[in-house]
Parts: sequence; C-alpha cells; structure tokens
Amino acid sequence: MKRIGLGGITGNPGAFAIVLGLMVLLLAVPLTHNGYVETVFRNILMYAAMAYGWNLIGGYTGYVSFGNVAFFGLGAYCSGVLAAHGVSNLFAYVALAMVVCAVFAVIVGFPVLRLKGHYFGIATLGVALAVADIIANLDVLGGSSGLAMHQLDEAHFSTYYYAMWLVALGSMLGTYFIARSKLGYAFVAIRENEDAAAVLGIAATRYKIIAWAISGMMAGSAGAIFAPANGFIDPSITFAVDSNVFPIVMTILGGSGTVAGPFIGSLLLAGANELLQRFFVKAHTLFFGAMIVLIVLLLPRGLVWLFGLRGGVRAWIKSVQVYRA
Amino acid sequence: MSAAVESSVALRITDVGMRFGGLWALSEVTFDVVRGSVVGLIGPNGSGKTTLMNVISGVYKPTTGEVTYAGKRIADVPTHDVCHLGIARTFQIVKPFASLSVRENVAVGAMYGREGAKRSTRASFERAQELLEVVGLARVAERPASDLTIPDRKRLEVAKALALDPDVLLLDEVMAGLNATEVEEALELLRDVNKRGVTLIVVEHLMKAIVSISTTVVVLAEGRKIAQGAPSDVLASQQVIEAYLGSRWVKRQEQLAEIEAEREQAKRVQPPQAGA
Repeated sequence: MKRIGLGGITGNPGAFAIVLGLMVLLLAVPLTHNGYVETVFRNILMYAAMAYGWNLIGGYTGYVSFGNVAFFGLGAYCSGVLAAHGVSNLFAYVALAMVVCAVFAVIVGFPVLRLKGHYFGIATLGVALAVADIIANLDVLGGSSGLAMHQLDEAHFSTYYYAMWLVALGSMLGTYFIARSKLGYAFVAIRENEDAAAVLGIAATRYKIIAWAISGMMAGSAGAIFAPANGFIDPSITFAVDSNVFPIVMTILGGSGTVAGPFIGSLLLAGANELLQRFFVKAHTLFFGAMIVLIVLLLPRGLVWLFGLRGGVRAWIKSVQVYRA
Repeated sequence: MSAAVESSVALRITDVGMRFGGLWALSEVTFDVVRGSVVGLIGPNGSGKTTLMNVISGVYKPTTGEVTYAGKRIADVPTHDVCHLGIARTFQIVKPFASLSVRENVAVGAMYGREGAKRSTRASFERAQELLEVVGLARVAERPASDLTIPDRKRLEVAKALALDPDVLLLDEVMAGLNATEVEEALELLRDVNKRGVTLIVVEHLMKAIVSISTTVVVLAEGRKIAQGAPSDVLASQQVIEAYLGSRWVKRQEQLAEIEAEREQAKRVQPPQAGA
C-alpha cells in the first residue's frame, strides 16, 4: 500500500493539532448545554475512546477485530458490579474495567491472535457473542433483565461527561505515545508483514496480545463510564451491534493507523447520525449508509488523508485512482 | 576434532533434508561454516539455495538433520529469536514495511534485534541512519519504502539485516539487478562487513561476484551438495559444469573435442600423404 501525505507513524501532525484543539473546545459543552446535547457529545467521546481502542489492533496492528464490544460490555459490567457493592467512585470503575479487560484480552488473545486475516475477525465476533450470552445467563449480573445503577443528581450529572472526556483524551494521547514508541513500530511491522517482522526479532503473538489488551482497556474504560451515565445496563445495550460496528467505521472513515483519525471519524459520524435522525426520522439509516459508501469511495484512506494532500482536486483524483489500482 | 577447530565453526549444517509434499528440495546437505569466512552458495535455479537459507534462518524446520549455531539447534528456536542468536538474513523477494519510511524500516531492526533491548527509540533511529549511510541509502531515508527501486530495496534489506547486529549474515541474491558499478560497490560493502568479523553466507547468480568474495564455495544441485572448496577449484570441477550446463552439453563438448582431435590427427597425418 502506498502512503501519500500520511505523515509518519502518528499520521499528519496538523490533523493531530486540530483534534487536540477540538478536544479542548469540547470541555466547554456542559457549560453551555445540558441534557440532550451534552449526551450527544458524551456519546461522541465514548465512541472516540472505543475507536481509539479499535485503531490500535485494527489500524496499527492490522488485525481487524469484530469483538471489541466485548471489552465495552465487560467494562460496563465492572461498574455495575462495583456499584452493586456500594462503590461509586468513577476512577475505581475505570481501574477495574482496565484490569479485567486486559486480563480477558490476554487469556482470549493467546489462542485467538494466532489466527490470521478473516479467521481472526470471525473468532473475535464469536468472542463478543459468547461474552454477551454468558452475561445474559448470569443471574448475579441481572441476566437478560440487566442492572439498574444509581445515577448522580442533575447538579453533578456533567461529571460523567468530564469522565468520558478524560477517557477519550487518555485513549488519544495513549495512542500518540504508543505509536511513537518501540511498541508502535512493532505493531506496524506486524501489520505490514508479519513474517518479516519476526525475522527482525519481533515476537508477533506477544505484541498482538499487547495491542489487543491496550485496545480492550480503552473500550472497557468507555464502558465503565457509560454504565453509570446511562443508569441502566443489560446485555442488549452494552453488547449492541452499533457499539461494535460504529468504532470500526469511524476509525476507517477518519483514517486508521493515525492518531487524529478515530476522533475525527467519531465526531463526524456520531454527529451526522444524530442530525440525520432528527431530520429524517425514518430514513436516516439510508442516508447514513449512503454517506459511508461515498466516503469510502472518495476517501479511501480516511479523512485525515486529506490533510496531507497537496495539489488540489487533481491530486485528489489521481490519489484515489492510485488507491483503487 | 580439536577444541580450536570446534570453536572456529560458526554454523554446522548436518544431513539437512527438506521435503515439500513428494519433493525433496534438499537432501543430505552437510557442511560447516567457519567463523569469519565468506561462504558462496551457488547452484542452478531450483537447486535448493533459498530453501537452505530458510532452514538456516529458522523459517523452515528441516524434515531431517539439523542446523546448529553455537551448539543450539536452530529448529528449536522461534523465528523471532533467531536474530537474537546472532543470525540475520535478507530476503530474495524483498519485504520492506511499505508504509514506513526507509529509515523507520531499518530502525525497527535496530529496536528489536540483538542489541535492541539496550537501545532507546532515538538510539535506534541514529543507528538506522548510520547504516543507511553505509549502504548508500541516506539520500532517501525519509521516503516511504514503497517508493524505492528494486536495487535500493535490496540495499534496504541489507541495512535491515545489519541493524540486527549479526555474527552471521545470510544474503539471498542481494546483487541481482545491479549494474557492474553497483555490484562492485556491493562487494566492497560486503568485504567491509566481513572484515568487521561478520560471517557471510552469500547466494548469488553472478559467478564473478561469488569468486571474488567467497573463501569457500558450496554447490547445490537438485537439493544435494555436489561440491565444496576454494572458488577456482569448485568452478573447474566437471560435476559443477555438468550441473550448470547439463550432461548433454558436457557430452557434446566431449564429442566436439573428439572431432577436433580427429581433425588435428588427420591434419598431422595428411601432409606426408600429400607429399607422396
């Protein structure tokens, strides 16, 4: 695959600077808007964290996971269990979710990450379905009827927003520093050519498991904050198809294997989805689908790719042709 | 064998056989590689050179026999740890990380190779830059590896392998596609690497290059070792000529030589007749 205008292992630095600026702006949302708008933006941040998680395994390491929702759900249930034991500290929720998701990723990753290509994708899909089914049948966790969680009152409700903002920021900065470290280069080497990576001394299975564990910690943290913010969790909410597919689509649209891409993708996609739902109550999924198809056709390497493109429309048309070839 | 001789052996290849389905790509290949030497591995297409390189570098586990390095069986070592033993290789079909820059490609080797654990990310990049200067790729260090021409990709392969700080370097056709000047440069580079104490095993089709650099030449034909020795001796051997040019060619040469000899004889015999 040719790289045109994707600056280095973290992606275009300009795009990253813009994304950091937007993150700072997003801090102001609860000050001016409460209720619905705040929830919309909190969901954007939630999807961003999940997209960053997927980006590490799918974008950087090149292993397309269809099972990251398992981490999100596990994270949510970590909060649910802690809340049932009277713990209400959000940091505790996130900490437990990260530990549980990392351990789960290592245990499951050991057999699953030996698979390559489509087989890995299908196996991860199976993992997600299995985890959802197991939780739905555990009465301790409320089974399929779920768990209610005590929510903060209205005056303190924005705490969830800020917590989710921190989780998204942590995922973004974590991705940035990991990508620039030795770890990031191991991930990309595995993506580009696993055999060649092994010859250079990279123990592929080990690094894939590390990538998946960090990936899971990001998604799990998002789930851990989602649960109390939502006030109620059950298997169908926490293991929703949307929560599985959106982060993947967002990452690819924004630019997979870049630091700015997942955030840009989440902002645009979750934002567009929200607007379309408002204006086209019934047909919004149709427009949403059409939009995704168009972006994939016209921006084959994601939106971040546009930042590095020099030479206007002509360069863009030429580049699209290069990628299609 | 005395202890001194024993310690001078870097790689020991013992009775190696490699079967793919019904085909033995290698059988009963045995030879030692002396530390500090340059072994030229030659043979016609399909004679098993690359297969042997793959066995030595641990990519393939041999069906029979074994390759040992410093007393360790390569087959028992995971592929990603072979370079930590001190064995590095290049690929005949080059395998750059296409989306990474040329320097990043080499830096990955410096990060995860034998000395990698001791190097910071920054030190790895510095090491990569040094090596790019050594192989003559400093001018394209920032370019994506996918932009490189084939000869430059071969250079990149060598730089990546050197980044692993190897004791033994396996080079699989790194000179293919280079012009005469470039071959000379490449040979100079390899001699230099060898002078620094790195043992080389070189697969190459260019006989001139092999003869000029090798201390020992091993010839494979149809998966078997048919000759081993000093370059000039090996290349003069009847068996090697047969392997390369075919037994019919050799037979025809013999026939031609006979005819020539008969003519000569006839010439020598004729003059008296003419005089009579």
